Amino acid sequence: MIKTAQNIKSYKKQLKEALQDKFLGTALNNFNKAYRENRPGVYEGIEFEAIKRDIAQDKDAAIPRLLELFEEFKSHAEEAGVTIHLAKDAHEANQIIARIARDNAVKHIIKSKSMTAEETYLNDHLEKKGFMVTETDLGEWIIQLRHEGPSHMVMPAIHLSRYQVGDLFEKVTHQDLDAEDIDKLVKVARKELRPVFLKADMGISGANFAIADSGSLGLVTNEGNMRLVTTLPRVHVALVGLDKLLPDLKSALKILKLLPRNATGQAITSYVTWIKGANECRNAPQEKKEMHIVFLDNGRLELSKDRVFAEALRCIRCGACANVCPIYSKVGGHKYGHVYIGAIGLILTLFYHGKENDRAIVKNCLNCQACKAVCAVDIDLPFLIKKTLGAVMDEDGRKPIKNQLLSKVMPHRRLFHFLLRQAHLAQKPLARKGPMIRHLPHFFEKQHGFRSLPVIAAKPFRDRWLNMDTGVKSPAYAVSFFAGCAVDFIYPEQAEAMIKLIKTWSVKVMFPESQSCCGLPALMAAEEETAAKLAWQNYEAFQNTASDYILTICASCASHIKHYYPKVASQAGISKTDMAIFVEKVIDFSSFMVNVLNVSAEAFTTGDKKVAYHAPCHLCRGLAVTEEPRKLIEIAGLTYVPSADEEVCCGFGGSYSVDFPEISAEILGQKLDNVIQSNADILVTDCPGCVLQLRGGMHKRDSAMEVKHISEVLSEQLKKC
Amino acid sequence: MSQEPLAALMANKAKAVQAIVEEMTSLEDAFHYFLNLTQKQGGRHVAAAGFNSKEFESLRSLCQHESLNLLPPPLRGHAGKIHTAITPVEWGLANTGTLVLNSASEDVRLATMLADTHVALLPVSKIVPDVESIEKDLDDILKTEPATYLAFITGPSRTADIERVLAIGVHGPQALHILIMENDAE
Ligand code: SF4
Ligand code: SF4
Repeated sequence: MIKTAQNIKSYKKQLKEALQDKFLGTALNNFNKAYRENRPGVYEGIEFEAIKRDIAQDKDAAIPRLLELFEEFKSHAEEAGVTIHLAKDAHEANQIIARIARDNAVKHIIKSKSMTAEETYLNDHLEKKGFMVTETDLGEWIIQLRHEGPSHMVMPAIHLSRYQVGDLFEKVTHQDLDAEDIDKLVKVARKELRPVFLKADMGISGANFAIADSGSLGLVTNEGNMRLVTTLPRVHVALVGLDKLLPDLKSALKILKLLPRNATGQAITSYVTWIKGANECRNAPQEKKEMHIVFLDNGRLELSKDRVFAEALRCIRCGACANVCPIYSKVGGHKYGHVYIGAIGLILTLFYHGKENDRAIVKNCLNCQACKAVCAVDIDLPFLIKKTLGAVMDEDGRKPIKNQLLSKVMPHRRLFHFLLRQAHLAQKPLARKGPMIRHLPHFFEKQHGFRSLPVIAAKPFRDRWLNMDTGVKSPAYAVSFFAGCAVDFIYPEQAEAMIKLIKTWSVKVMFPESQSCCGLPALMAAEEETAAKLAWQNYEAFQNTASDYILTICASCASHIKHYYPKVASQAGISKTDMAIFVEKVIDFSSFMVNVLNVSAEAFTTGDKKVAYHAPCHLCRGLAVTEEPRKLIEIAGLTYVPSADEEVCCGFGGSYSVDFPEISAEILGQKLDNVIQSNADILVTDCPGCVLQLRGGMHKRDSAMEVKHISEVLSEQLKKC
Repeated sequence: MSQEPLAALMANKAKAVQAIVEEMTSLEDAFHYFLNLTQKQGGRHVAAAGFNSKEFESLRSLCQHESLNLLPPPLRGHAGKIHTAITPVEWGLANTGTLVLNSASEDVRLATMLADTHVALLPVSKIVPDVESIEKDLDDILKTEPATYLAFITGPSRTADIERVLAIGVHGPQALHILIMENDAE
């Protein structure tokens, strides 16, 4: 059945296979694109940001009270003739349900879709006990017939083509079918399953909401099978995760505003059903439904007490975090989760299905923030994924070499910088004279060759800084510059361009030399201790400079500092307010130019160059800066030409591109295709990491298109006075 | 607030999700619509639930006249036969084109779930802007009824499980007709 890779080697083999599945690649790519493009229309007139925060608050208030809510639910539901069970784990839940079936002399069981039942592997258990179990949701029925797990939480059979479904249905019906006609395939399910509905003795459903103050369940569906499952058979069992408990109808209705929109782009699903108590059922004794609700703990109560991970219990299983994930759309759900799929799957797998099943998949995240931006309940998914990675490594009690190195070297700035300088010397023979490494050293395997790599600069920015003329008379602003490793050691010319540029607007620049790596690479590798140490060091480094802003030209550094540093301030005795003052000052280049300096077109020459723009993940989502860079390009006398999917990740993700080169290459390839189609002359972005990936990719393609940091193009456009 | 714009919104939103919306001035017209529809589709067995006995009887005599078979309650015995079903509904939610139907009665459920075509009667006075407008009523039902099965129905049943292509009519009705009743049917 579900075979999730337990180690990175077999995982990579699986990924390779998945990347070769052409149907999957195209189908999921189209899905990802359509989902993103439809989203604004779906949310027209709906305050997504405000409602999601509201729901998150409701959920956060409910999560510590789950047992209390359970008791409240129980008393109301029991009063209404329902038997309530609480299963401590998956096995117990399955046993309870099998017992209910046995006690009621059940033979045939029909099911509507339930991720919770997938979580407990309920079907396997019931079948082993001799019951006939039929899934009735179309997608679930298809994967049941194929003996597979779901590949998406909302659309379980999204990995299959109509032809695969057609072949399957031909086997089931022993008839020739026209697989081209999806309507007809759907009608096969209607026809084949009707008799099964009618003869079933027991129906099993999940639930989206369990409302404590009335003891009722809410179910959100489209096909109508759930209504039949809960109506026709004489016994109804609902299997419900404890996390579905809500205090009242009001909180459920709030979720209902976002759930269908986020999941399927519908304002509401065809059916939303509220069930309370043992309803009329004329084929049951006393004409009353035998109704049971089995609440599943399976680690939820423990999770609810965890200061960091409790947030994951907010999840309402809308599936959106998979829909927008660039990795999911390349490899599919069977390779991007265990039972639970997508970003939330990388997290929950550890808690519900153990570290073995999470060990490999949890590494597969770019930290692109796309999932976080669409999450209906505001879960910081990328952050929790890194936390989960750390927890898996802790449980394994073994650290990969990368982590050992990181934790030994990175906290010691001088040693770290010394090694970076050495790297330049080591690369010399590989680079000859150009800015790119000609041949990768032999210890790199060939899959890393999808982009050229830059050489480490002969003279890092911190050395060049010493000789720079940065004097400004009566400065308008004083800013401290945060360089970040990529700018400091690979692209110092980007920083030089920027400093030269803003001098024109009388900005005095300072460079606190004890600054170090922002710590994001350490966090990406789940080296939290190191990441925290770096945060404190940088905080210290900027304490003695009286500056109006802390300016960066690296979107990743800026976003990381703003979001992560406040999380670790208190451990080093830094007060919340002090840290807030510090991170408030951090500003990205484009925002500084447009919003602070208010630069205008007069300062720039006009050119006829067409410029495509790549929006770095950490700028457009991490810092929510979207307008400014595009405006800046126009102000600088260039023509901005839109290209498709500008805000989709370039596939870099720091060391991600080294850990998963094939996926990184796929994502990059698509990005470059889109840019080239825009017929631009230059591709501009504002993160040195993206420059590395994009320029390397263009170079590898021998493309004439230049890739530049926005600070470089701006300084080139500046009028010479 | 006047019901007209609400009814128009209700109709637009329901049509957007493939429901068919018509206006009716009397219950008799609605019954005729229902029977014509059944005949056009070549159906024979029809079901009605949620009506009082007088209304049910009048439908039955109309059926006899048209040689259609109005299945006698309880419907469970005829589960495989229902071609078209007609039921009143409690409310309409204009902003999503949703029908709200208290289906605690098993016959109401079977009629609305098993029929190929569901015809729903919605009094124009029962159209409200959104679910929040009846939140209190819903909450009361959930809290005070000993057992209940409250259904929000928005368009016919649908799926996109195969290649994300929208297909109408999976396990529930393949068509939903909403008849907005101008004068509240007594
Ligand atoms: S951060 Fe990006 S790569 Fe990671 S799970 Fe979220 S969407 Fe996928
Ligand atoms: S984590 Fe958020 S986006 Fe992902 S399924 Fe849960 S609610 Fe939806």
